[in-house]
Amino acid sequence: MSEPVPYPVLNDDEPVRQLNELDASLTYSYANYLNWLFPERVELIKGKIFKMSPAPSSFHQLILGKIYRRLGNFLEKLPCRVFISPFDVRFPKESQNDEAIFTVLQPDICVVCNSSKIDARGCIGAPDLVVEVLSPSNTKTELLHKYRIYEEFGVKEYWVVSQGDKSILIYTLNEIGKFEPSKIFTLSEKITSIILPGFELALDDVFEDINP
Amino acid sequence: MSEPVPYPVLNDDEPVRQFNELDVSLTYSYANYLNWLFPERVELIAGKIFKLSPAPSRAHQEVAGRIFLKIGNFLEGKQCKIYSAPFDVRFPKESKADKNVYTVLQPDICVICDKSKLDARGCIGVPDLVVEILSPGNTKTELLHKYRIYEEFGVKEYWVVSHGDQSILIYTLNEMGKFEPSKIFALSEKITSTVLRGFELALDDVFEDVD
Repeated sequence: MSEPVPYPVLNDDEPVRQLNELDASLTYSYANYLNWLFPERVELIKGKIFKMSPAPSSFHQLILGKIYRRLGNFLEKLPCRVFISPFDVRFPKESQNDEAIFTVLQPDICVVCNSSKIDARGCIGAPDLVVEVLSPSNTKTELLHKYRIYEEFGVKEYWVVSQGDKSILIYTLNEIGKFEPSKIFTLSEKITSIILPGFELALDDVFEDINP
Repeated sequence: MSEPVPYPVLNDDEPVRQFNELDVSLTYSYANYLNWLFPERVELIAGKIFKLSPAPSRAHQEVAGRIFLKIGNFLEGKQCKIYSAPFDVRFPKESKADKNVYTVLQPDICVICDKSKLDARGCIGVPDLVVEILSPGNTKTELLHKYRIYEEFGVKEYWVVSHGDQSILIYTLNEMGKFEPSKIFALSEKITSTVLRGFELALDDVFEDVD
């Protein structure tokens, strides 16, 4: 009988130049992710690949820009820092080693107050605040999969922005580590943030001139 | 000096055939509303006119239809009744007389369990459950103005359905008469209702193949 053919082993050092070279049913780590050189943007959730929208709409980007600017201006002289995607956020469990990290997300915007979480490649650990602007094709990822990750890893505030409905909902982590939803805020209303005391965002400002 | 010209008085019996005949800054009652014969659909909130989307999109209608069907099937043989727009729901304060009712809404779907609230023209009083499917031009009306009415008058459950985001959020009235929001439910999830005990709605069924 001939030698058994070894099961193909994932070679961590081999760059991957095409997304379709990857077997999407396998489990990948951040170490693999670092070798992916294809143009498509992907996220890793518990080792599984999730494709992101190829290019967010112009409205998505307009809204994102407005929120980012307002947060950025508010945080100008404060210790928290705001980042806009693409920006890798790694969610480590016990170990921070690349091959032991299986969840890597690219939030639209995140605010990180503990500067020790920021390194050259992005953020390692849960941001304090995350903002996601829903894209029509991807809402399940934001509302279900990423929602669960953000809650599990203790993101204090998770803003879900709907460009289609011109609305914002804020999930706030409670004392038992569960997200509590706010009501859906709409035009003419203002939102505030418990982690950014004094910050106010008027939805009319965010969504003005936008007709998706 | 000549006779002073009397200030024009709103004649309740005069039919209004064109929407632009109306001065939208004025306060109107259901009695006025009944005389409006123009095609545009409007609602009254505390006496102020709010225009509805002229014709909801196909996706809106498809989603509304699916939800109506599923709730309707569940309610077959049960006491509560289900209605879809157009269907006038009057929200009376102290008096139910037409000229004293200033809020008249047309929810996309409503469920009414108390038959005494139903008359020939619709519903008078608060439905037990209301479902609104958001339309892009009109979300502020549903999320703010109608939200406040439904909460103030005591709708037990208010479902906000976003066909754009393929999601549903449920507001449930608590003991202090305030709406408490659920999380935003997404595809692959199921929602249940405290008004429709035993009912389950899978979001995949509501939104799949609706573009």
